[in-house]
Formats: sequence, C-alpha cells, structure tokens
Amino acid sequence: MSPLEAPSGNRFVGQRVQRREDARLLTGRGRFVDDVVVPGMLHGAFLRSDFASGSITRLDVEAARALPGVVGVFTGADLNAILGETWVDYEGGPRGRPFRALAEGDVRFAGEAVVLVVASSRYIAEDACELIELDITATAPIVGLDAALAEDARPVHPEHRSNIAETVPAIENPEIDRVFATAAHVVTRTFDQHRYACVPMECRGVVSIWNPALGELEVHISTQGAHGVRGFLSRVLDVPENRVRVVMGDVGGGFGQKMFMLPDEVAVVMAGKLLGQPVKWIEDRRENLMSGQHAREDRMTVSFALDEDGRIRGVRGDLVADVGSFPAAGSSSIKFVGTVFPGPYRIPHMQYSAQAVYTNTCGRSAYRGPWLMESVVREQMMDAVAAEVGIDPLELRRRNVITDDLLPYTSATGMVYEETSIAASLEQAAAMIGYDEFRDEQRRARADGRLLGIGFGLYVEPSGLASGTMSSEAAVISIGINGKVQAVMSSGSHGQSLETTIAQVVADRLGVDVNDVTVSQGDTASAPYGPGTGGSRSAVILSGAAEAAASKLRAKVLDIAAHQLEAAVEDLQIEAGRITVAGSTTPSTTIAGVARAAYTDISALPPGAEMGLEDKARFTPSAAITWSNSCHACICEVDPRTGGVTVLRYVVSEDCGRVINPDVVEGQIAGGVAQGIGGVLLEHSAYDDQGNPLNVTFVDYLLPTAADVPTIEYGHIETPATTNPGGYKGMGEGGAIGSPPAVVNAVADAIAHLGVRPLRQPLSPMAVRALLDGAAS
Amino acid sequence: MKPSSFTYHRFDDLADVTEALTRLGDDAKLLAGGQSLVPMMNMRLARFEHLIDIARIDELRTIERRQDHVVIGAGVRHCVVERDAVIESDVRLLHASTPLIGHFQIRSRGTIGGSLAHADPAAEQPAVAVALDASFDVVSSRGSRTIAASDFFVGLWETAMNPDEVLRAVSFPVWSGRLGVGVAEFARRHGDFAIAGSAVQIEVSENDEVVRSAIALFGMSATPHRSRSAESHVTGHQLANVDAIELGRLGVADIVDVSQDSNVSASYRRDVGAAMLAEAWRRAAADAKRRI
Amino acid sequence: MNELTVSMTVNGEPRQVRVEARRTLADTLREDLGLTGTHLGCEHGVCGACTILVDGDAVRSCLMFAAQADGCDVVTIEGVAASDGTLSDVQQAMHQCHGLQCGFCTPGFVMSITALLELHPNPDQETIREYLSGNLCRCTGYQGIIAAVKVAAAAREQS
Repeated sequence: MSPLEAPSGNRFVGQRVQRREDARLLTGRGRFVDDVVVPGMLHGAFLRSDFASGSITRLDVEAARALPGVVGVFTGADLNAILGETWVDYEGGPRGRPFRALAEGDVRFAGEAVVLVVASSRYIAEDACELIELDITATAPIVGLDAALAEDARPVHPEHRSNIAETVPAIENPEIDRVFATAAHVVTRTFDQHRYACVPMECRGVVSIWNPALGELEVHISTQGAHGVRGFLSRVLDVPENRVRVVMGDVGGGFGQKMFMLPDEVAVVMAGKLLGQPVKWIEDRRENLMSGQHAREDRMTVSFALDEDGRIRGVRGDLVADVGSFPAAGSSSIKFVGTVFPGPYRIPHMQYSAQAVYTNTCGRSAYRGPWLMESVVREQMMDAVAAEVGIDPLELRRRNVITDDLLPYTSATGMVYEETSIAASLEQAAAMIGYDEFRDEQRRARADGRLLGIGFGLYVEPSGLASGTMSSEAAVISIGINGKVQAVMSSGSHGQSLETTIAQVVADRLGVDVNDVTVSQGDTASAPYGPGTGGSRSAVILSGAAEAAASKLRAKVLDIAAHQLEAAVEDLQIEAGRITVAGSTTPSTTIAGVARAAYTDISALPPGAEMGLEDKARFTPSAAITWSNSCHACICEVDPRTGGVTVLRYVVSEDCGRVINPDVVEGQIAGGVAQGIGGVLLEHSAYDDQGNPLNVTFVDYLLPTAADVPTIEYGHIETPATTNPGGYKGMGEGGAIGSPPAVVNAVADAIAHLGVRPLRQPLSPMAVRALLDGAAS
Repeated sequence: MKPSSFTYHRFDDLADVTEALTRLGDDAKLLAGGQSLVPMMNMRLARFEHLIDIARIDELRTIERRQDHVVIGAGVRHCVVERDAVIESDVRLLHASTPLIGHFQIRSRGTIGGSLAHADPAAEQPAVAVALDASFDVVSSRGSRTIAASDFFVGLWETAMNPDEVLRAVSFPVWSGRLGVGVAEFARRHGDFAIAGSAVQIEVSENDEVVRSAIALFGMSATPHRSRSAESHVTGHQLANVDAIELGRLGVADIVDVSQDSNVSASYRRDVGAAMLAEAWRRAAADAKRRI
Repeated sequence: MNELTVSMTVNGEPRQVRVEARRTLADTLREDLGLTGTHLGCEHGVCGACTILVDGDAVRSCLMFAAQADGCDVVTIEGVAASDGTLSDVQQAMHQCHGLQCGFCTPGFVMSITALLELHPNPDQETIREYLSGNLCRCTGYQGIIAAVKVAAAAREQS
C-alpha cells in the first residue's frame, strides 16, 4: 500500500487530489536525465566561444585528443557537413532558420559551442577542453535592437542580406488614420522589456545510445516533448523514425527552453553515433544561462487614440524583438503579439507591425507566454493613459473592458471570445485587493514619506493552442485483466501534475477510484504522438483525449455489463468500480469482472463484440484557441532611500473554466507570478557592448526566493469552455503573463505622484532610484 | 562545472600546516569552509596544485573569554559563532552580524577565519572586526605575530598576511557598560552580498549619553571603512539628539574610493551606505535603550 | 592521480569510496554511491538543490569535496523516510501542501526544512522565508513549500 493514498470516492475532478508524482519525487527516487546511467557511458563537455563574433583563425585539438581518458573530439567541420534537415515538427518543413551543430569558421555569439570533447568523465572532458587551442579574431558584434536595425549593419549571418529574421508589415488602414486624426486624446509610449531566461531548475541534458549493430538510436533527454525529438533526430541523422526511441523521464522544468533540441544537444547525439558508444551530456548552469536560449527582449511603441471619456478608439503598435543569433523554432511570437494585443478591451481598430532581428547574442526560445509583450505593454499603457487623461486606472479599465453582454465578441484582430469573464475577474481582483481602501492607505502612507503602489494586469490567455502539430493530443487507455486502468498519454509533463489530473479525469469518466488509474507518458516506444507540453494545452487537449478515450472504454464496459446483467445500458451506473442497475444494489458486477470476461471468454460478451478493454482517442478542440482570462493585482512598497521594491500583496482572479485540481491551478499561477516578480525586479540576461554576457551564474542572474514572493491570494471563477467536453481551459502560462505588468504598474503607481513613469525594465533598485532622482531634479 | 586536479592534504596540527605552506608556496591554498573557494574552483576561476584542509585542527576551533577579550579560533564555523553563549553576551555585534552571512547552509561550513582572510569588501565580519579594533593572531613556520584590524585589510580581497601565514585566531575586545548594537545592510535579495552595510556598537550612559562608539561600513570600497567622523559626531551626545539621516550622510561623506560598476554607481552606493548607517544607528540606539 | 579513500556513514550505513581529491561530495553521492536523489542545479552553491545533512547540519554538497566528508555522518534525501517507506513529517507536509511540481529542487528543500525545524521548531513566517531563501524553486512560487513548513512544525509539536 502506497503511503500516499488519495481520498476514495466517485468524483475527483474539482478536488484537491494530492499528487501521484510526489511519492518518488519526495524520496529522491525521481528519474531525471542525469540519473540515467548505462554501461560504457561517456561524458561530453564543450569548449565555447568567449567572443560574440569573429573568425576562427586557429583550432588545434590535438592536445585534447591525446589526454588519457578522452575518447573523441568533434569540431564543426566534423559534424555540420553531415547534418540532415534541421527543421522541427512544429515548423512543418524547412523554414530557413539558421542552425549548425557547432561553430565553424566563425562564431556568432559568446557561448556558442565550438568543440565537443567526449571522455570517460566530465572532469576529464573539461580538462581536455582547457588544452584546446582556439584563436578567434574578434569582429565588432551586433548587440541590441538598434545595432541590428542600423542601416549598414553587418548581417549576423553572412548568408543573409540583413538582420531581419521575420517581418509583419503594417497593413494600410484609412479608418484607423481617421480615428487617430479625430481622437480627443492620443497617447504614445515606447516600452522596453529586457532579456531574461527560462531557468528551469534542472539544466538540459541528454544521454544518447546508438546501437550500430541494430542501426537504432535510444535517447534519454530532458525535454518537453519526446516525439518532437524523435522526428527531429530522425531527419538530422537520417535514421528512420521508427528506429529512434526517445525517452523522457522526470523533467525538472522547461518553461519553453526544452521544447526543441538545441545545437549542443544535437552535437552530442551525433558524436555518440559516430563513436558508437553511449554519451551523456549534462548542461551546467553557466552554459544554461549563457547558451541555453534567452527570451523576452522586446521593444514596442504604441499609440492609443481615445475619446473624451477615455474609451479606446484605436491602437497602433510596432514591435521589434531580438531573437539572438540562433533562435529556436517558434520563439519569435511577433505576429501573435499583435493578434492578442487588444486582449480584454474593446478596441475597434488596430494597426500593427513588427520585426524580429538577429543579433550576436544567445538565441531566443519561447518562454512561458512568449507573446506576453502584448499584456506587458497594453497594461502599462492603460496606466500611462489613465495618468495622462486624468482618469483612475481601474475606472479606465472598467470603461474599456469587454463585458459579458458583448459576448461572443470578435476583436479587431479577429479573435473571438465566447466563454470569458473578463469584467468579472477585474472586479473580483479589485475587490480582493481592496482597491478603494488601498487608495486611502496610499494617501496616508505618502504623508509619512512611504511609497506604496498598486498595479493591475488584466489579460486574456490564448490556451489550448490547436494548430499545426499542436492541433491534437491522444490517449491510449486500457483496463487490465484485473480491472486496473492504465492511461498512456501523448504529453510531455514537466511539472504540470498530469499524472494526477489525467487520473482524475479518467477515474471520473470510468467510475473508478483515482488510485486505480496510472498515467504514463514520454516514451516514443509506447506513447502516441504529441507535440510537446506547452502552450497551456494540457487541461484542454490532453484532458479532452483522456475523456474521449475513457468514454469509449466506459461504453464498452457498459455494453458487456449490460449483456452480463441482462439490463439496458442506459440503466447502468458505475461507482467505485462496481456496476449496478440504477436504483438497486443487485445484480451487480465489477469492472474487474467485466475485464476478465473481456480478455478470456468471448462467449460472455455481446455478439460481435471485440475482446479486450483497450481504446484510444485523439482529440482536437472545436476551436484553435480556448480563451481563459485572469486579472492580477499587486501592491508594492518602494523604499525611497534604496529604490528597493517589496511586493506586499498579490491577488489573482482566475477563470480557467472547469477546474480539474485547484492545487494544480493555484500552483501553476504561483510559479508564473514568481517568474513575473523575478523578471521585473531581479532577473536580467544582459550583455555589454562587446557582446559579453554578464549574468551567467546564479550570483549574477538573480532568481526570486521565498523571501521575495508574498502569499498569493486566489479568486476562482468558472466559466466552462465549449471547445472540449470537460469544459476545461488552459492557464499554465497565465501566471507569467499577468504578473510583469501588475508589478511594473504597482511600482509606477508608487512613484507616479512624483511625475515619473518607468518605461524600461528591469526595475532594479538602482533603476528605481534613478527614476526617483530624475523626479527630484 | 568540475574543478581541476589538486593534491589534498589534511593535518590535525597547525605546525604541519605552516610547514606545508612554506614548502609548497604559491601552489598551495588553505581549505577551511570552502564556501568561497570551492565555487571558484568549480568554475575553474581558481586552481591550485595543493589544498590544505584545516577544518579538523582543534586549536583553531576554540572560543574563549580571556580577561577582557573573546578569542575565537579562525576555524570556528559561522553556525557555531551564531549560537555561542559567550559571543552572544560578550561580543553582541558579532552575534548580530553573523546571521546575515549568506544562508544558513553556507554558515554550516563557512568559518569566521575564512571570511576574514578572504576579505570580501561586502562581508560583515571584516567590518565588525574593524569597528571593534579586533586583533588577528597570525602564525607561520617563521613564528607568530599579531595584526591589528586596522592594518589587516589592505585591499580588494587582500590582507596583510603573507602567503605562508595562517590566521589562527581573532581576538575581540569586550566592552562593558550599557551597550547597543545594530547591523543593517541592503542587498538585492536576502543573503546576497551587500551593496552597502553598516555595523554600529555604542556604549551609553545611564542618562542616554553616548560614551563610546564604534561605527564601520562595508561594501563601500575595497576594504571596510571605520568612520571616525561618524563616531565623533555621536560620542558625547544624547541618543535622542542624533539625527540618524544626518549621521548616515556624514558617515559616508569621507569615503574616498567608493566602488562602482556597470550596475551600481558610486553615488547610489554612497546613498545606500548612508541609509544603512542611519538604520544601523537606529537599531543600536533602540537596543541600548532596551538595556538598563 | 591524487586519489584517496573516504569513509563516511551515509544514511546510517558505513560506506567507503576511492575518489579523486577533486571529486565533489555531490558527485560522489550521485555517481559512486548511486544516490541520485541529491541534484545539481548550479554547482556554485546558490540554488540549494544539492542540500544534504553533514553531521546534522544542512550543507551544499556541491561545495564540498568528498575528501572533506571523511569520517562524517551524511544524510541524503534517500535517508529521510523511514525504512518501511513512511514519509517524514516534512515529506508528508510537502505532499499535503502541494509543495512540489517538477520535483527537481524538492530533495534540497526537504533537507533544508528538516534542518530548519531542528534549529527553530516553531518558526514564524519571517524566519521561514529567511531560512528558505537559500533554496531556489522555479515551479511553485514557494507557496506550498512555506505552508508545508508550518504544517510540519505543527505536526512535530503534536507528536
């Protein structure tokens, strides 16, 4: 009997069922990639470029090769020429995204891997790296958006003509020109969001096992999606995908960084294949912060046109995003930022343009809510507009918010909201934070020289993104001969508690105890195809698949039971695994009894019935986006002496439809909120103007701690979705989307009376002090 | 992130340590708690042919009240300093500053001698030592000597010790009378190195007049700063008559080489230092008032 | 080769390994003794994922060489639950309070909380946050972890 038994009963969805994952994770028996050990396993280490850009004038690896314990040394010349196609499943085909396994001829960001050493231990591999003679003649790097866009800027990738990676051109719109020309108020601001990193607690890692005799590859990897890795490696190595097995064990967080393989991981797999021996590489934290992909460096200029009463009549926006040198697939959300920008407000007209640019810095990955610049800018803009026009920021939101009577509502960018509760979440957050009382408190505090501020982050979250490879998820569910349930899912859960939530969904649908359902994922040998876990999709799409497959099985169970009990299917009910005719306790049978018959005795089954109790479903939601919504409210205090910011209170009003497990929802929100607090106040992946990364250890890259995140207060609203039978909506990214604007707005509000507003992040104490000093002068 | 190779030595006797240091010279480094050294070695920012583990040397792990001093062995771990009854009663400024060192896991291994010998500009203990005019008992195979705190810290991560010398013990003078202590620091997060901080100890008469004061700042420049100007500003005055903010400004005004980097300007650091001195003063004053 | 023999008690059992002088205690535990529950999150002493108990004190095992642990009593996450699998009060509280998601930082937190409650059996909110600030978590926002300390302290007080 497991020491961790969940409560028994018939209804599990909606309950705070404690996690199945905990039994192994609390006792140190998780299986993360660095825990994988195979006989004869070798270890890799990389020599990386110290320069942001330059040509490699000398590369001599002989001393490294000769070091006892070194088994192989690989350079760009060894690997790049034998790279197959390097597009990922999500891209659907080659997209011209720059990619190489190792630097060759030149280096394009500080931290780019140049040489891979494989040795009997990581210690020796690092010793060998020190023996490599690498000379680089540095060239002036392209660092920052302005440098990338400058007229005569050198292309980061010589094979390109410019540094423009992607463009969303503005569409001519005479109506919006008219709106701006006749508006009572026009407010224009430019906002800069700094660069930061995903920083999962577990760095990336891969164990690659190539079997030359069988021509088969087995890869253990810390990833967000095993199938994506399989498809990608199959093409890169030109090995049939049914001879590539990818195993995803426990993964210590991803947040987007582990959605797709990055060059160094590919180099390790290639080296393993060339050597014919198993090779493990575990990214260290310095590599993770320097080369493991960055995120969020954006600049957006917006103009709001408003009428006399502060109602938004039109918005113009232009975004520039820095995608570094080798961006990961899907990392530039520049189009989506414009699509989602109108968010929770009635904005009749929108004109939008954007560019993504290459720089000589670490490439960009999608990071939890990668389009969030839309909320970061829009919500700051609401406060800026409120200040300029002289309306209270909550009141301004109330005047512009999409109210329920307008649903279904189609935004200026074509997004259709049907089951949202935007205005209700704004009101709930305002009530929970005690907005009016706070304004009184703020006034009193100011008289005492204390700076308190309040900020909102109101947004809609595009969840359950169902397009391309992300359109569906699948479940393969079987009831064994002893009546226990196994669900094998297409997911890549890396902290989302899917082993528990899916068990809840399946248990409810089948009428069994949640402890009688086990959920597994992540091995391409058994799991159905999945695009990887991200995009706030699991509650919507994965649950949908689980519901659908469980429903099929339930129907089959009831068919057999009806036959056995000589009753009508519609009269039967299942409770805790026991099947009875509604209204009586006898006759009855059990799921175990039905299962035994199904596997052993065809004569006990209805005529024509298939033996066994196994079924599969693949689910696609009825819309490409399932909208959830939330409002964050934050109260902070700014210390005028130091510029230090303390977050005093934090409130989240969340509508993610029907909630499977409130603990899981709240936990996901909390993690996202911490990332927003950290992102605004502490985290920064900065470069100097020579392209040297400045924050490559945890001494310099500051993550929020337990002392930095207050107790978060939650309000739940449940407006079920109609895109999936469970009525679920995704929300996994939302915590990270609403929090940066709420925190920035709170800081801005604390000092607004001094006549200054921040336009840049991060809001380090020094930056806040500089604002205060600016106000004083 | 794995360190490069070295030969490991461990001795139970200080004499063996000094002999080895003399013999091995620059290739050797002492390993006490390792909380500053090992991260550097893991990142290969530091490498040594020889590490000499001094964590088991009993002579370095004693705490004694000797007349009007408390003598603390250099090898005493911060977690022990934190909970020692003699230090808590007789060197209250050290008792107050020790919990601010990093996190408690660091304090489980890090030593007071290690912190002092490492001489980080943002560290608390060097400032406390300077404030209280501690003296450092230093030994080598050539003999032993005493270095005053005011002479000990000479530059960024640099002390007056010679490469072949080992810090054996630190001696803190014990003040008598009605005392107040206060420590305040500002860091990005709890446990991070301070941007600036201050340690204040005062002796106050029955009628709340400052009889004696010791004021130091840390994080401001390469070495801890003893603020004589702040001390003369408060000594001889009534507690209530000291304006903390003014004291803070005064205390930082005469620091000549305030550190700066791309994140923290000298003027910002000076302002934070002033605020921390003001706060440390307030805490010391409140502490003194609580004592009869 | 700079190798030496290190003898320790690990989770109550005497263990002996022969390792290079430079081999960290964390690597020795994970690779030479197969105790992979102790995780490496940074290898420079900040994240706390590698926290273990050495002679009863919470320490960062990435900042110790195995050689330094010679003769010491070491407890890792694998040694926390009872031999029959019964979770410790700290582990049970973490489970009850939804104190983990991906689980990578969890062993370090369990060890740190276990040590904290020995030092402060009934810590207040401020003490809890201060003592937990040496362990980083990216998933939970610390909510469940902080709650777990309170629950474990209360459970301890009752028993």
